[in-house]
Amino acid sequence: MHYSGLLLDMLNGFDPMPLAKLEVGHHLYWRIGDLTIHGQVFLTSWIVIGLLLIASIAATRNAQRVPSGIQNLMEYALEFVRDLTKNQIGEKEYRPWVPFVGTLFLFIFVANWSGALVPWKLIHLPEGELAAPTNDINTTVALALLVSLAYFYAGFKKKGLGYFAKYIQPTPILLPIAILEDFTKPLSLSFRLFGNILADELVVAVLVLLVPLFVPLPVMMLGLFTSAIQALVFATLAAAYIHEALEGHGEEEAH
Amino acid sequence: MFDFDATLPLIAIQFLVLTAIMNVVFYKPLTRVIGEREDYIRSKKNEARERLDKANRLAEQYEQELANTRRQSQGLIADAQAEAQKIATEQVAAAQKEVQGELLQAQQELNQQKQAALGQLEQEVDALSRQILRKLVGATG
Amino acid sequence: MDPLVAAASVIAAALAIGLAAIGPGIGQGNASGQAVEGIARQPEAEGKIRGTLLLTLAFMESLTIYGLVIALVLLFANPFA
Repeated sequence: MHYSGLLLDMLNGFDPMPLAKLEVGHHLYWRIGDLTIHGQVFLTSWIVIGLLLIASIAATRNAQRVPSGIQNLMEYALEFVRDLTKNQIGEKEYRPWVPFVGTLFLFIFVANWSGALVPWKLIHLPEGELAAPTNDINTTVALALLVSLAYFYAGFKKKGLGYFAKYIQPTPILLPIAILEDFTKPLSLSFRLFGNILADELVVAVLVLLVPLFVPLPVMMLGLFTSAIQALVFATLAAAYIHEALEGHGEEEAH
Repeated sequence: MFDFDATLPLIAIQFLVLTAIMNVVFYKPLTRVIGEREDYIRSKKNEARERLDKANRLAEQYEQELANTRRQSQGLIADAQAEAQKIATEQVAAAQKEVQGELLQAQQELNQQKQAALGQLEQEVDALSRQILRKLVGATG
Repeated sequence: MDPLVAAASVIAAALAIGLAAIGPGIGQGNASGQAVEGIARQPEAEGKIRGTLLLTLAFMESLTIYGLVIALVLLFANPFA
């Protein structure tokens, strides 16, 4: 499956400028045995993971009672994700979910911003180009499926097989819709993130193609903002789904 | 664009590993640090509140003691004044009595002397009158 | 690529993104208007209102993004090409 794209051919046909090229669907393929993987996704995701780990270790290696510098920043991040999880899941059960939801938020946030802030395009790959890991549908679907697994796990752990009761809770007529929901949740989660990030990069790329200087800057700022909001939305929705699985449909309570 | 391949499960596994590692190096230590700090602040606050209470109690106690002492000293002053007053009245009374006694004595003495002088005078009158009589009788007789 | 499919794909992409922008546009306008009204009524609740507003705007925005994804599929990964 390797499409070189219709618009792509058109644009590259009459555009001699090497500054910006619209490339969608080109990947740096690595082969491990029979498996193909997208190398550029892994490269950037390793950088993102490395950043996160370095920041965490730097923050906790020499943790002080009075925080300063990186520790302050990471504590702010921790309290932010903890509040986010607490607001969604509730005071009672949020604790074990903080690492999952928090890592979702931090990973997506850093990945999105790395795509917007780091000039990946300067590094030339043999094929494809470096971009935010969330720019690839594989990453977002992987994360969304993990969220699905997480809320199923939460439901089963809390209620055992009684979790399935929520599918026929108000009436069994809604069973198809309830089942459909389990498919639309990861679908919308992954497409939302993927589409937003890809759209940001495409809009910036198109604007750079048209006017290379200064004009794309406001759009880039908007892209930064959207990226942050999308990370927040992803983590919030993940926590909300987990909460829903924990609570069940019958005992809906305000949070 | 929608080419799914082994990237998907590998990214998922990678993310789970990242979550596990972050749990060890980030969430647990920082949560512990934050919890410890909260405990520390709470204990310090309690301690400070206790100290404030203690200080307030002490201040109250001192105030009370001060009031007591002031009352006592006022009482002492009043006592001393009363005593001094009493002593002064007594002494004045004693002095008056003494003066009156002396006055009385002097009057008595004066009276005695007057009596004595009158008695002497009478004797002398007697003697004189007898002399006069003798002279008169002698001359004629 | 068949020129007819190419032309149809481009038009379909344009329609997808254009039509998908209508509903969320109206919805976002409504939401923002209500939020401004809420802030005018209760200026002290501005922070909370703004947070909720941004989140809901992102949700509405994602509807357009779905249209955009369809458009991108038609342009870059056309299954009929």
